[in-house]
Amino acid sequence: MKQGSALLLVAIAAGALALVPILAPPFYANLLVPFYGYAIALLGFNLLFGYTGLLSFGHALFLGLGAYTAAVLAGLWGIKEFEVVLLAAALVGLLLALPLGWLAVRYRGIFFGMLTLAYGMLAHAVLFKFYHLTGGDSGMRVPRMHLLGLEFAAYNKIELLAGPFYYYCLTLCALAALLMWRIVRSPFGLHLRSLRDNAQKAEYLGVRAHQFRLAAFAISGIYGAVGGTILGFRTGLADPELVYWTHSGHLVFMTVLGGFSSLLGPVIGALALTLLQDQLQSLTQYWRLVLGAILALVVIFLPRGLAGLAFDVGRLHGRRSASSTANTTETA
Amino acid sequence: MPAATSAIANILIGGIFHAAVLFLVAAGLQLVFGVQKIVNLACGSFYALGAYFGITLVNFGLGAGLPDWTLLPLLVLAGLLMAVVGPPIERLLRAVYDRDESFQLLLTFALVLMFQDIFRLVWGANPRSLNNVHLVYGKWTVGDFSVPVYNLLVISAALLAAFLIGLFLKHTTFGRLLRATAENRAMAEALGVNVRAVYAAVFTLGTLLGTLGGALVVPTAAASLDMAVEFVIEAFAVVVIGGLGSMPGALAGAGLVGLIRACALVLYPEFEILAIYLIVIVVLLLRPSGLFGKPAT
Amino acid sequence: MTHQPTSNASPRAEAPKAAPPRPIVRARSPLIETRSVCKNYGAFRALEDVSIAVREGEFVSIVGPNGAGKTTLVNLLTGLLVPTKGEVYFKGRNIAGVCPVTLATQGMARTFQLVQIFPELTVAETIATAVITRQGKRWRLLSPLPQDAQIATRVAEIAGMFGLSSRLATLSRLLSQGEKKLLDVASAFALDPQLILLDEPTSGVSTAEKHAVMTTLVGAARAAGVQAIILVEHDMDLVAAYSHRIIALSEGRVLADLPPEEFFADPVIIETVVGKRRGVSC
Repeated sequence: MKQGSALLLVAIAAGALALVPILAPPFYANLLVPFYGYAIALLGFNLLFGYTGLLSFGHALFLGLGAYTAAVLAGLWGIKEFEVVLLAAALVGLLLALPLGWLAVRYRGIFFGMLTLAYGMLAHAVLFKFYHLTGGDSGMRVPRMHLLGLEFAAYNKIELLAGPFYYYCLTLCALAALLMWRIVRSPFGLHLRSLRDNAQKAEYLGVRAHQFRLAAFAISGIYGAVGGTILGFRTGLADPELVYWTHSGHLVFMTVLGGFSSLLGPVIGALALTLLQDQLQSLTQYWRLVLGAILALVVIFLPRGLAGLAFDVGRLHGRRSASSTANTTETA
Repeated sequence: MPAATSAIANILIGGIFHAAVLFLVAAGLQLVFGVQKIVNLACGSFYALGAYFGITLVNFGLGAGLPDWTLLPLLVLAGLLMAVVGPPIERLLRAVYDRDESFQLLLTFALVLMFQDIFRLVWGANPRSLNNVHLVYGKWTVGDFSVPVYNLLVISAALLAAFLIGLFLKHTTFGRLLRATAENRAMAEALGVNVRAVYAAVFTLGTLLGTLGGALVVPTAAASLDMAVEFVIEAFAVVVIGGLGSMPGALAGAGLVGLIRACALVLYPEFEILAIYLIVIVVLLLRPSGLFGKPAT
Repeated sequence: MTHQPTSNASPRAEAPKAAPPRPIVRARSPLIETRSVCKNYGAFRALEDVSIAVREGEFVSIVGPNGAGKTTLVNLLTGLLVPTKGEVYFKGRNIAGVCPVTLATQGMARTFQLVQIFPELTVAETIATAVITRQGKRWRLLSPLPQDAQIATRVAEIAGMFGLSSRLATLSRLLSQGEKKLLDVASAFALDPQLILLDEPTSGVSTAEKHAVMTTLVGAARAAGVQAIILVEHDMDLVAAYSHRIIALSEGRVLADLPPEEFFADPVIIETVVGKRRGVSC
């Protein structure tokens, strides 16, 4: 799939998404708001997984961090400016990711996975037990916040979410994706990929493994926290279940479903899973069973995810119509 | 026995009982990881499966007129029967043996999701329990301190299992084949070992230990939907502390985690789970290979 | 029983094979040297009292039977191992235990016997990884790599030296074994090292291709401005054709440190190193 046609597809998709609040009932726009939160978080997660080769099973920790930051700032301290909350969440994400990452990226593979799993569950336990601070399993309230200084007092919550907030999130997601695109195409991004492919050789070519993995971890933490803030705003609640290990598992699920070898793969996965889960939940109460089966099928038969499938279809189509073929890599 | 001592003894025995059950499941995890290098996130689901089915079988058996003392044999039977899910799941996992370990983790996670709804479907959303049937075995009392004999039976069973596993691995042919395949699969294959059969057997054995652990715990704890996902974390804590792939590690890790829980219950009941995760993080940072494991590359 | 060249020799008048001219050895400190290094693994003495030096402009081969200590010596020279006794100096600095990244930035590059590639990176990206290090651009998070002309030019240059220009956009895992070897070495060259260590670069390459590979390597080295090459090799024909000096190891000690014509003239050395008399095909 040439870059031109890929860009076109992205533009069409973005256009379609922009039309949802206008053409569809508010239910759908409301449904898609958390997708944007997950999409942003996953862009960061995949920098760590798809591009640097580190699979974290505790990434939901940062989602929770973002949500609780929003709860503290807007709920406890009355700072209702969403932009301030976003910045604060990003900062908190960075500050927590640095020490956690510094310790964790000394390890790879299963040890990294277990350590991050432990981080997530430790956070869960802390959030649960220190209930006088965090509200325990009732969580903390995340009140409505002002977008770009506007209160939108005339809108009720649903209207706000399905209208101004929807477009706010869409824009934020687009900006986040653009930024991540720059990062993965940069010299830094190439060094990360070299670490993923062959860490030993990379070091002999001057790639500083620990520093760069830490940087990737930190960036993923920032993105995760920002995504979590959106989730918190949307549900109006920050609760410990956000950081439970199965939630981290869902993040990985989305990434693999969409495809971890491309920039927007995880975003596609988040969209697919959001829509799929909603559809399944309306069809049967045993939607987890179906989702689990889908994940199993994806893992076995579609390891490069939906994006990989699209890429293959595109390449097949390209081969038929074009006379020459160049072996190009699909990783952005 | 003075009240304080008996209180401590009570909690200690509780911790050891918990450790016994933990050991069984962790041993299953270790076997599978040691030989197949797969980290099975669904071990908690096997545990829950054994628990739920144990309740069903006991209710059925006692309802059909079997005497109360058949509780333990029925539970053991339940554990053994549920091990039948082992071979088909192993068959499924075969698809990802040669792939990156992330895929293996994800496939077992898919199983976790599926099992959650299977439990919901078959046994409903409410927790299930047995009403103290295990007290049919009586209690062992010393002054203020008393412990159900059932608990002591389970602890003994776990120790027996540990002993038998050790014997099996060291002194039987199949045990040696297992260890050879764990060390070097390609070499074992080249020497004529039917690695496929070994993998199937190992996974089934690992499943069996999980379902057995769940079945045995059920008189003292309720079977609930949360069980599967919560237990995974504790089992992993045991495996990390003890060292991935190590049997003595499973025993030591289980003992330690049981002990930590017991101590935490006495000193800081709030922080029992926290203490375990903190220890896991500390162990992973200071000695990632755990107490008995091989050093991480 | 080591023999050292005692004087600056004049370039030879006529050579029976295509041997390189003698380097003009100036009286300056060596680029890399070991001073009486020993390396023990427990009770096993891998290296004993090894003192070698390589100066700018030299092409030195290290030879010896398996188990003689070649790999250990190379690992000491590249700082991967710390000597039990003695020191290793590179550009005047003690490099014991230094990490590979530091080596790369200090001007030393090495390749390994088993070819190392980045499976999912293209040829251009592989070379670019090293060029990024060389040009100090590793922390550029936001500038697009494809549009960096400085990097692209250098990558094209290096690829050209190694005959990989037509394969720039190919994924590394799709290359032939020979191309992978060339890429492995090319990426090391892209660091603009002053010293490069090649660990059996032609192993696994067919005999017919070996000379072609070596000619490419040496030509590229000259073009890239590499100042010294250390080669670990088993193939004595290659060693004879390209080296200024041959260092033979045997059971952890330096058996000989001689220019080729003196080296091959000594039957005892040949027998120990090669195991047969010269002239019989291996």
